[in-house]
Amino acid sequence: MSLHPVIVGGGPAGMAAAIELARHGVHCTLLEEASRLGGVVFRGPLRDGVQLDYLGPRYAESLAKLHGDFLDRCALIDVCLNTRVVGAEGTRALVMLDADERVQEITYPQLLLAAGCHERSVPFPGWTLPGVILLGGLQLQIKSGVVKPQSPVVIAGTGPLLPLVACQLHASGVKVAGVFEACAFGKIAKESLALLNKPQLFLDGLSMLAYLKLHRISMRYGWGVVEAQGEGELRSVTVAPYSSNWQPDLSLAEQVPAQTLAVGYGFIPRTQLSQQMGLEHGFSVDGYLRATANIWQQSSEPHVHLAGDMGGIRGGEAAMLSGRIAALSILVQRDVLSSEKALHLRERYLAKLKSIVRFRAAVDRYTERGAGQTALPAADTLICRCENATRADIDRALSQGVQDMASLKMRTRVSMGDCQGRMCVGYCSDRLREATGRQDVGWLRPRFPIEPIPFSAFQNLGTDALNHE
Amino acid sequence: MSKFYDVVIAGGGVIGASCAYQLSKRKNLKVALIDAKRPGNATRASAGGLWAIGESVGLGCGVIFFRMMSANRKREAQGAAVAVDSSTPHILPDSFFEFALQSNALYPDLHRELQEKHGMDFKFEKTGLKFVIYDDEDRLYAEHIVACIPHLADQVRWLDQTALREAEPSVSHEAHGALEFLCDHQVSPFRLADAYTEGARQNGVDLYFNTNVTEVLRQGSRVVGVQTAEAGKFRCDTLINAAGAWAAELSQQATGIRIPVSPVKGQILLTERMPKILRGCLTTSDCYLAQKDNGEILIGSTTEDKGFDVTTTYPEIYGLGQGAIRCIPELEHINLKRCWAGLRPGSPDELPILGPMKGVQGYLNACGHFRTGILTSAITGVLLDKLVNNEALPLDITPFLADRFEVKQTVAVKQAEMA
Repeated sequence: MSLHPVIVGGGPAGMAAAIELARHGVHCTLLEEASRLGGVVFRGPLRDGVQLDYLGPRYAESLAKLHGDFLDRCALIDVCLNTRVVGAEGTRALVMLDADERVQEITYPQLLLAAGCHERSVPFPGWTLPGVILLGGLQLQIKSGVVKPQSPVVIAGTGPLLPLVACQLHASGVKVAGVFEACAFGKIAKESLALLNKPQLFLDGLSMLAYLKLHRISMRYGWGVVEAQGEGELRSVTVAPYSSNWQPDLSLAEQVPAQTLAVGYGFIPRTQLSQQMGLEHGFSVDGYLRATANIWQQSSEPHVHLAGDMGGIRGGEAAMLSGRIAALSILVQRDVLSSEKALHLRERYLAKLKSIVRFRAAVDRYTERGAGQTALPAADTLICRCENATRADIDRALSQGVQDMASLKMRTRVSMGDCQGRMCVGYCSDRLREATGRQDVGWLRPRFPIEPIPFSAFQNLGTDALNHE
Repeated sequence: MSKFYDVVIAGGGVIGASCAYQLSKRKNLKVALIDAKRPGNATRASAGGLWAIGESVGLGCGVIFFRMMSANRKREAQGAAVAVDSSTPHILPDSFFEFALQSNALYPDLHRELQEKHGMDFKFEKTGLKFVIYDDEDRLYAEHIVACIPHLADQVRWLDQTALREAEPSVSHEAHGALEFLCDHQVSPFRLADAYTEGARQNGVDLYFNTNVTEVLRQGSRVVGVQTAEAGKFRCDTLINAAGAWAAELSQQATGIRIPVSPVKGQILLTERMPKILRGCLTTSDCYLAQKDNGEILIGSTTEDKGFDVTTTYPEIYGLGQGAIRCIPELEHINLKRCWAGLRPGSPDELPILGPMKGVQGYLNACGHFRTGILTSAITGVLLDKLVNNEALPLDITPFLADRFEVKQTVAVKQAEMA
């Protein structure tokens, strides 16, 4: 039994929480699936000696600050890298696959879940062609893998990540053929005031747009992806103007030659673990499932905390603040910090969080997904890549009266593959909500193990468990 | 605002769906199928074996059940866990053989019918079931089984070590041989339930999913309908209780008598997809293995008395995994993809509970199918359809009536006292 609090996820939320705990002299164990800390935002290059100047000075600064602060406190933080949490035994213990591919169990007095999010896959004809990639994954390649995609690159999606990645790609020497933001310019302009809640980010945004203009990279608003073409690999992308509910106007469609298409229509919290633990969940306005947390970042089980994008998509800076607040709650639970002191500190973090939340709300409003996009896939377009379920399979199931996610799974095999629905859950949920008119059509219930694990990995746990008997 | 039906079926698992399908074929009855998805639904959790002989002689799920019973009994007697007693195979009564074999015989035609008329394929596969023999104790057990079923001699085949290696090259070379049941096959369990359901829907049955029955409506000794939380009142001439592990509660509301159905938890493992390495289904004294149509190998299953709990637990997963590796050594290097648990609707004598109950009109049981609901769903649907329509039955259901329990319970107590 670990007497220390355990943190799942070494991204900004988990790292900030570990720093806050250490600042108050509390030892913790931090579990991270990757080979480096930082999460998708702040992982940094996976090999040494790499110049990241194409990511901009401010990024390098925040990267260095987070890792520097962490290093200062690392004596009190047990970091387990390459460690995947694959299951939970209620809210008592976690089951993990360690770096040597052995299953281990770890119990905890307090837990912080900071598992982040995954990208929302949007299916359209050709989306499974090699060369079509999700935007966040592409950014991670240039940031951490230090691998450049094949030029020219087309970027389609919605939100502030689009121009950012376009600039970073161009600065790293990649040819960007065009950026297609699904929402109309007027919709973003309407949010200007709210976006000014984070003046620096707003300015960054403006300077990115200026940068794109300067380098003649077209940024088109109210345009989106329709189809990807190619044989064996991507050759071109069809884009078209999107109506206000994201219905493409095919009469004005254009074909853009491209070797890489980066698609970024948003993110979905990773709830596999929180669901398996039986914590309380709810649906966001955008329709995704997320675990619910109170103002102390406590889940429905007070000793289990949530921070970062797991509880709703708000980005890296907010993740760090929610991680710190969760740490304060853990400190109070361990009698290290008085309630008054914790409350005082929490208010300080909450004040900072407030402007991010307002900024984020504005982004959420202008990036609100239009329902028209679910019409993009053709009858034979794959929806579930693991099980080869097509749009036609889903249409048939809906016409047969299937009304919830679990029944759709049984009828079509969607989500029965290795990824347990990470890729198809967004589309399936959208279609079910559309067909039934209900907000709650269920969500995919993850099973143990969250990721496939070899049978040989059980040796450890098995013998330990049997010895207990 | 009541809805009016001739028949309301409470429970949309494989049993309820089969009843709905058979009733729907007449097209003269108005039928509603009401279902509330609850964690642990046995149909979705099932392995999909049609092991008519295997399960009747206590193999498949049964061998694990028997080991548990036997171990418990010995533990109680001697205060320590002891291995299975191989001299007493766990054989179900003749009535169950008849029930299981008649049901089994329906599948080839049912498969064709649902595919041709309704476009639904439940992946019926002729596989056979091999009981893998590792040691003398297993052999003794197998010999006892064969001695107990002389009337099925033509459905049984012995494989020596060479024959087994030829038939199933992936099975451990430590195995001495196998006893094969030739008529035991497999289906995809959730596709079977979906096929019945969709066939029924196409024939005009009204489906009410995500709908919870909150109360059974009665007039005197007659059941006249159900109240639901989501879809209001349903009036009906006949209510069929196909509520699986939850059937006891419904029977109490309908008849005042709580039929003895209780959840029996089973955990199952599933591997990633593999090339076809198993030609048939396998059962050992540790577990059973069935490679499904898409290449995944399903490994089952535990038998646990844990109420409605459906968590997966690591010692049990480990145990099943070890049993599977012992049988198919190459599994050690294969990935475990998913585990889950389901709740079998268990009855004290392992026989289903079918048909009317004394003193109650408008109510029929179709529950208590324990570990063979997939296999016996076909005949259950046929029987319930004939019961509703007052027609002659293809087999005697007296051994399956709920009224057997009062009498049987006292007998069981007597036997225990004598033992």
